[in-house]
Parts: sequence; structure tokens; C-alpha cells
Amino acid sequence: MIKRIPVFAVALVGLAFIALPIVAVFARLSLRGISSSIVTDALVVSLKTTFVAQALVLAVGTPMAYVLATHRFRGRSLVVTLVELPIVLPPAVAGIGLLAAFGRFGLLHTGLPFTQAAVVVAVAFVSGPLYVRQAIAAFEGVDETLVAASRTLGAGRTKTFFRVVVPLARGGLGAGEALAFARGLGEFGATIMFAGSLQGVTQTLPLAVYAEFAVDFHTAVALGGLLVLVSALLLLTLKWLASSSTSAFRFALSTSS
Amino acid sequence: MIASAVLTIFAAASLTNVLPQIAPHEQYSFSGSNMLAAQIQQGAPADVFASANTKLPEQLYEQGLVEKPVVFTRNELILIVPKSNPARIHSVYDLRKPGVKLVVGAVGVPVGDYTRVVLHNLGLDDVLGNVVSQETDVREVLAKVALGEADAGFVYLTDARTVRGKVATIGIRWSAQPIVQYAVAVLKSSHRLAAARSFVQALLGKAAQAKLRAAGFLAPQ
Repeated sequence: MIKRIPVFAVALVGLAFIALPIVAVFARLSLRGISSSIVTDALVVSLKTTFVAQALVLAVGTPMAYVLATHRFRGRSLVVTLVELPIVLPPAVAGIGLLAAFGRFGLLHTGLPFTQAAVVVAVAFVSGPLYVRQAIAAFEGVDETLVAASRTLGAGRTKTFFRVVVPLARGGLGAGEALAFARGLGEFGATIMFAGSLQGVTQTLPLAVYAEFAVDFHTAVALGGLLVLVSALLLLTLKWLASSSTSAFRFALSTSS
Repeated sequence: MIASAVLTIFAAASLTNVLPQIAPHEQYSFSGSNMLAAQIQQGAPADVFASANTKLPEQLYEQGLVEKPVVFTRNELILIVPKSNPARIHSVYDLRKPGVKLVVGAVGVPVGDYTRVVLHNLGLDDVLGNVVSQETDVREVLAKVALGEADAGFVYLTDARTVRGKVATIGIRWSAQPIVQYAVAVLKSSHRLAAARSFVQALLGKAAQAKLRAAGFLAPQ
């Protein structure tokens, strides 16, 4: 009994520490802040860019992960490490890298900076690797004999991929995508450096929180509350998916943190 | 609480190069003046606040957070373009060309407010339609133009000097210039009040004023 008390006390302190800032955001929320056009504009920009970026991540990341999961070649681990690198890279470094690559005087001389497309690129760059990493693990977990059976029974490569491989891996794919989505929604550093910040064009929710902190604290709090809600909704969806899906999904979730 | 000998100075981003030359041993936090004022309102433990305007320190003074602010220097606004001048801007009126990528400070950031005054004085309010990014401090405007990503940006004369060779400057006629006064104030919550007050006094003194002048700043009056 004596030994248990400090454990519970520590647990309680930890819980309060995590809950307090989240509760505080709502405690300081005022209607005056929510009504600002900055809030609605930032929400629209955030949702739009996040959905486009995640569509791209899925469209490009899925085949990419499949190739890396099913092929063994020299330097493979190096390639996988490279793909995973943006996950651990400080966002500001990602911003510098994107400017050096796609800036007006970058390697590819594109006109991307300051456009909404630049936000999409920044979000895809920092969040995509989270999905690809998880997708590689998911594809590697697919039973090869089932794939072989599908092929023997006359299904083509494409059909086998969409009818057998993807359904078997969908738990891991879903978990990876949820993580990428969450990371993309919170993107700040790379976006502000590469895309700039303009209300209604490139100013996402996190960028608006930062800008409004210096202008109107009420609006900043309102934006913070909105991000907490959207994130909580995302996390709940994620848990719901996990409980109604395969054990592979739960495995992927528990190993991804 | 034992007060350390080093002062924590919250200062406008445009003072980044000059203040450490004047007082090299203090601890600095450079940012947009409005960001710093917001941090002070949230209880940030600074000793001195040096702002790129008088409005913010006056506000903090009225809120009882700082002592009476004093003006210690002035500045003026200037238009900068990348050395390669991709949008071929040779006067402020060229900013009206469609497609020009103009970067300015956000509303509330001193340089952003001054920029809007200049554009208004020149009858160029519509130029704001060419703004592609609103930055949170003047050094971010400077960086985006110096890097060549933006076609033009409004900064202080003193900022342009720090990236010589990377940008070309276009002056703004005197009658369109806003009054750019920098005010400094001691925080009432400071644990080093005496040291903070002498820092402010030193800033008004001959040696500091000479260094400010050498960096391109103007006399307080």
C-alpha cells in the first residue's frame, strides 16, 4: 500500500500536466476570437492543403512503399533511411531544403514559393515519410503465399495489388496515413519558410496561431481550440479504425509511436 | 531570488546587429516588437524592452508593465529588391505591375504598419494586392528578398545595410516617410532595475548613439 501511493501521485501529476494546457485553451476561449475571418480562412487553407497533400502522399507513397517492401537491392537500407529522414529532420531544415530545391534560385528554379501549392509541397515533404515508413512495414507483413496464390489463380499484378495486397495491408496503411495527416495538419516551420504566410492563401492554422499571438491573443486561443478539436477528432477516428480493424492495424499503431 | 549580472533585453528585430555592438555582454531576444510585447504581457522575464515604435511600449506603460518609455533612435523605410531584380522594379510605382511578388510585415508588426502608411502616403494602397506573404518581423522580409524568392519588400534603411551586395535599394521620398521612432523601457517586474535603468541611460549616451549612427540609425530628435 505504501509503495502504491507515490505511483498514483506521479500518475496524477503527469495527467494534470498533459490535461491542463489543453483545458486552459478552452477556459480562455472567447466568442470574440472565433468570429474573426482569420480563423475561418486559416481553417479552409489548412483543410484544403492537408487533403491535397495527403491525396498525393497516398498516390505516390503507396507504390513507393510497395516497391521498397518487395524488392531487395544493394543500398536498399540507405534508400529507406533517406525516405525516413524528413521524419526526424527539424522543420526549419526542411524549409531550407525546399527553398534550395524548388525556390526561384533553387536547383529546379520553380515558382512555387508563396503559393498554396508550396504549402502542399511542404506538408507532403514532412508528413509523407511517416506514411511510407508505416506502409513499408505493412506490405512486408503481407503473406507472400496469398499473393502467389492470387497470381496462380490468374489475377494480374495490378488486380492482385488492389484486391489482395492492399486489403491485407490496410490496417498499417490506415495507421500510417493517420499519423501523416496529423503531422501535416500541425506543420509550421517548413511552411512559413517555403510558402510564407498570407491570410486565405498560405496561412494555415498553426501559422495563424503564431501570427495572432502577437496581434490578438483571443484569436490565437480560438485558433488553438480549433486545432485541439480537429486533432481530437482525428485521434478518435484513428482509435475507432483501430478497434474495428485487423490486428495488423493495432500492431502498426503500437509500434508507430 | 539572486539576480544575475546579465540583463535580458527584448529588442526589435531591426536592432539585431547594432545592440550587441553597443552592449555585447547582455542577453538578447530579437523578434517582431509586437511578438515581444505579447510575451511581456504573458509575463516573460525580461529587463528591458526596445521597440521599433512608440505605440507598443506606451501600451505596456498604460498597462503598468513598464516604466515610462523614452525614444532613443529613429529609422526610415526603404524598398529593397534582389540584386538580380527579377521583376525589374526601379521605383515604388513599379510595385503596381501585376504579378510582382511583394513581401511586407503583417499588420501589428511595426514595419508592417509603417509599410501601409508609406503606401497610403504614395497613393499606392492597391499595391497590397501584390503581397504574397506577411512576415512576423522585418528580418524575415529581408531574408525573403535577399534570397531572391520575393521581388520586393519594405524594410528599414539599417536592415538593407546588413545584406549589402544581395539587395538593391530604392529610396522613398521624405514626404511619404512615416515617423519611425524606437522607444525603450525598463520592465517593472525586472529584478535588476538599477542595471536596466543604466542600460537605457547608456543607450541615450554618446558612445551608443555614435554606434547607432554608424549603423545608419538617426538621432532621436
